[in-house]
Amino acid sequence: MEILITSLSLATVLVLAVIIGTGGKPMVFVTSLGETVSLLAKNKVPLFWSGLCVLLVLGFLYFFYVPAATRIGPEQPIPFSHRVHAGVKAIQCRFCHPYVGRSIHPGLPPVEKCLYCHEYIIANHPWIQKEHEYFNTQTPTPWKKVFYLPEHVLFNHQRHIKKEIQCLECHGQVETMDRLPGKRFEMGFCIECHKEKEANIGCWLACHN
Amino acid sequence: MDRRTFLKIAGTGSLSIAAGCTSEAEKTLFSLVQAPDDMVTGKAAWYASTCRECPAGCGILAKNREGRIIKIEGNPLHPINKGKLCIRGQSALQRIYHPDRIKTPLLKDKDSWRPLSFSKAIQLLKEKTLAASKKGPNRIRMLTEVVGESLLSLFSKSLHKWQSAGPLVFEPYAYESLKRANKEVFGLEGLVSYNMEDADLLISCGADFLETWLSPVEYARKFKVMHALKSGQKNLFFHVSPYQSLTGANADLWMSCHPGGETAIVLGLIKEALRDGKGQHLPESVRLSLARAVAAYTSTRIAGLSGIRTEHYKTLVYRLMDSRKPLILGSGSGSADANALQTNIAANLLNLILDPDLTLLDFANRHRVETAASRSQVLNFFQALEKDSVDLLLINNSNPVFAFPPENRLKDALQNGSVFVVSFSNFMDETSRLADLIFPMGLPLETWDEYEGKSGIGSTLQPAMGRLNETPNIGDVFLESAFEIDLSENNFKTYLFAHFMRKGIIGDEKGWVQTVRQGGTFSPTASDRPDRSVPDSAADLLHSISKPLDKELVFTAAPSIRFFDGRGANLPWLCEIPDPLTKIAWQTPLLMHPKTLASHKLNHGDVANIRSKWGSVEAPVYEYEGLHPNVMVMSIGQGHGSYGRYAENVGLNPVQLLSPKPEPLSGGPRFAVHPVSIHNTGLSMAMAHTDGSRIQHGRKIALSVSPDALKHGKPHKKHGLTMHDFPFTLPLPEGYDPKRDFYPPHDHDTYRWGMVVDLDKCIGCAACTAACYAENNLGVVGLKQMIEGREMAWLRVERYHDPVRMEKIMFLPMLCQHCDNAPCESVCPVYAPHHSKEGLNNQIYNRCIGTRFCSQNCPYKVRRFNWFDSQWPAPLHLQLNPDVTVRSKGVMEKCSFCVQRIKQAHGIAKNEKRMILDGEVVPACVQTCPTGVFTFGNLMDKTSRARQMVEDPRRYQVMGYLNTKPAVIYLKKVVQDI
Repeated sequence: MEILITSLSLATVLVLAVIIGTGGKPMVFVTSLGETVSLLAKNKVPLFWSGLCVLLVLGFLYFFYVPAATRIGPEQPIPFSHRVHAGVKAIQCRFCHPYVGRSIHPGLPPVEKCLYCHEYIIANHPWIQKEHEYFNTQTPTPWKKVFYLPEHVLFNHQRHIKKEIQCLECHGQVETMDRLPGKRFEMGFCIECHKEKEANIGCWLACHN
Repeated sequence: MDRRTFLKIAGTGSLSIAAGCTSEAEKTLFSLVQAPDDMVTGKAAWYASTCRECPAGCGILAKNREGRIIKIEGNPLHPINKGKLCIRGQSALQRIYHPDRIKTPLLKDKDSWRPLSFSKAIQLLKEKTLAASKKGPNRIRMLTEVVGESLLSLFSKSLHKWQSAGPLVFEPYAYESLKRANKEVFGLEGLVSYNMEDADLLISCGADFLETWLSPVEYARKFKVMHALKSGQKNLFFHVSPYQSLTGANADLWMSCHPGGETAIVLGLIKEALRDGKGQHLPESVRLSLARAVAAYTSTRIAGLSGIRTEHYKTLVYRLMDSRKPLILGSGSGSADANALQTNIAANLLNLILDPDLTLLDFANRHRVETAASRSQVLNFFQALEKDSVDLLLINNSNPVFAFPPENRLKDALQNGSVFVVSFSNFMDETSRLADLIFPMGLPLETWDEYEGKSGIGSTLQPAMGRLNETPNIGDVFLESAFEIDLSENNFKTYLFAHFMRKGIIGDEKGWVQTVRQGGTFSPTASDRPDRSVPDSAADLLHSISKPLDKELVFTAAPSIRFFDGRGANLPWLCEIPDPLTKIAWQTPLLMHPKTLASHKLNHGDVANIRSKWGSVEAPVYEYEGLHPNVMVMSIGQGHGSYGRYAENVGLNPVQLLSPKPEPLSGGPRFAVHPVSIHNTGLSMAMAHTDGSRIQHGRKIALSVSPDALKHGKPHKKHGLTMHDFPFTLPLPEGYDPKRDFYPPHDHDTYRWGMVVDLDKCIGCAACTAACYAENNLGVVGLKQMIEGREMAWLRVERYHDPVRMEKIMFLPMLCQHCDNAPCESVCPVYAPHHSKEGLNNQIYNRCIGTRFCSQNCPYKVRRFNWFDSQWPAPLHLQLNPDVTVRSKGVMEKCSFCVQRIKQAHGIAKNEKRMILDGEVVPACVQTCPTGVFTFGNLMDKTSRARQMVEDPRRYQVMGYLNTKPAVIYLKKVVQDI
């Protein structure tokens, strides 16, 4: 996606530069190459502005996509920190994701479960108040999905847990992260591990449904 | 535009593209507020309940995933259906998620509907009942569908409180003539059940027990036990009727007769039995009066009177006298047509003569539908509304306006200004449309209830899913409005509990929990026929028999296996799955005999106008050989004027031609009418056929074998490579033959899934197809696409006529054969059909680019292409199985052998560190088949049931001569030549 956007933007800028440079007659650029070169030299000012545009776009794309800050993942309805809970407080993954060992889904903690502790711990914190509000109004919390699998793939957590695959092997070191970055699992990632561990690699029998 | 503006737009455009796109669409995961104990996300929870799609009352298990029901299966513990379910039961869950379901009460406000809150509606109900009961007695009337004993008693009590008489139970098929016949002969006005499985000869005079009659799943199972191949022999089943229904198509011989001619035939059989010295146990007086009644029925007279062929009648007599335990069934569902009562009386008497102890009749476990009132009672009920100045009419989940012929003027009775009509219904059907208040109720899978399909068993209903709307339980509404009961303390659930305690079904809370958990208490009462002497008058009615209609054209409305009485017509699956006999979906053709077609200068597909004294209808004609030439048949159920988007103006309603007068003797409805006139409108119509042809063109698709040929099996022939001598080849590595195989063998380790389909058991009911639609998220394409041949069924039941005797029909379930040498695999340019280690032919949806080469190359035509994205109008999409991908436009799909279930079994087996057991994987079609046609298993395992069945001498592979090596192995149907 990023590549596509970059190339599109660059192509636009290039076309503009050519149009401006040739004074609205882009074919001149092709028909007489020598003349074009001299024209380029004559039009230093428009070329300068075009160059600036290119730089601005590239700069924007760089700051938008590359720095780590843009990869911290989507903003959640409540800024839950895995670092605090799984890292600092060392709460087991399965306390909040209890079905991971017995179902295909790991399970998300119900609002009620958060309040087991947060009735007492920082109970008056505004975000915890929001959690209380979810509970009192019987509203499910709309968490943003961060680990993304295409719909035609059915991942079975139970089987992986039974085979003692650690959570972090796919989900990364969540105990070091506040907000979880989005991750899009791709087929190569699964296949590589399945091959290595000599697990099933049948299309339907393994993953697809 | 100047250059400057262009630059501005282009610049902002490219920047906003760069800023506006994120790399992926965000999805939301909702966490629960409180986790219910029994819900594990990703795992199914099963709730036992009872099916209420027809009065049979089969036990069901509702599969709940993340709070919503995604599939219904039969409850294996339930004595009525033993884990099996019919096409209508499978489709029941579409009712809950129906997009046209009414969510709040609607009050009629001149010509529009005003939504009300439930509390306001109950308040209104209270006011109306109070006002009516103050005016005097019997100002409130109630009509209800067949309900459980507890609900019926609550209705009665409530009406009593309102100083009115109890409710009238209405069922369009109320078996009036059968009930009356049972009263005349056995002194019991009820509907006994039949131990059909113990019979050795079955004769049905029109009773369509495989479709709608009494309890179709139960009788389909019992019929196939009776009709099974045992030591090279099969018991016989004869169907005597002017119309060969699906039940008739499953008979060993269908004997055509004039409408109303069945009686003469049964009377003739009585005469023969008495002559044979049977019936000595009957009192002398009864025997004599009987002998007098049947004296005139000589075989020549019967042939003349009934139109049965003499050799057919002789066969009947010979076989009947030869059998030890024959069972004779009377007329079809609800029918009270010409002589139906006499036929039923005669059938009862014949059973009595041939079997003194009546061991095949179960008097203790009677069908609940016996509580229904007769058609004439219901008609009187409506006619009395104005006369008795009734103020309030309550209708519970019934649609009499659709079921009654328009001439009965039910519309006028309901629209009579003085009566306030409340319809407790979830759909805007014909009756609700005329009501003043529509009060939607919780559906059977959402609420607490109890319904015993047969007396003697208790069968419970429980909420099996989270609520989609606030519709209350009808029991709660009556408790609140009649008795002012505070529902937070006492509700219908506690009422049910008390009812069960009172009946002694449960002893305490624990018993209740156990009962609800297994879906009821199943200890059928032992059959004890009270010693009832047969009244002398039993044979009296047999003297007055109307003459069978031998000359006139007769129009018959037949109950439909798909829509029952019309209540199923709004469910898209039932419309989409074609009729088992005609293979036409979404339309209602008029079945006519080829001779009659020719004599009226009509062709198959022409639109004919049929007119009776009471009404007329324009219908496309369908050439069908399983008819008496004078009879025309149209199935009941479609042609709704109002019943939601899938039913409105779809198909035709034959009821509008029928006589409004009930039959006087039994009070039942008449489903046949004469005289009728028919003429060609000059138009013709494209019909939504799903069959390519009526016959097999000698291609060896559905095969049959005679018991003799089976017994004396031909000596082992030398194999060749032609259609006739191609060897049977299992889809296993040992089936590899370098002489005829181009590709190397597949190496299957441990498992090679395969299926054995016993054609001898298949009745063609299409329950398997409905189960497949539910399990695998199959799309519904609708009439227009159906005509284009774009249906999506992964499993279809093919119907083939015998080219020599066209009335003889065979059924063959056709699904992906999971060939070992699959023609689809070798032609795909992108390798989307993939052969798995376990022999499954996988279609990789995200790899498919939609060339459709595979479909072209598949000789079985089981691959389906998504021409469009399938639509599930909300909330119908909540039914989708989360374990199965929803395919998108441009993708080929087909049967997967329910790979999600195989994977689940793999998971369980691996967790327990063992192999998958035989019978552990049960695909949806295998699970639901009422007669056990399918056996699924591992062909690599020599001890598996499927593998052992493969050794059957009847085995064959459909078009195996193409060297496809299918993993679906068929067993030939055993056809007895009579």
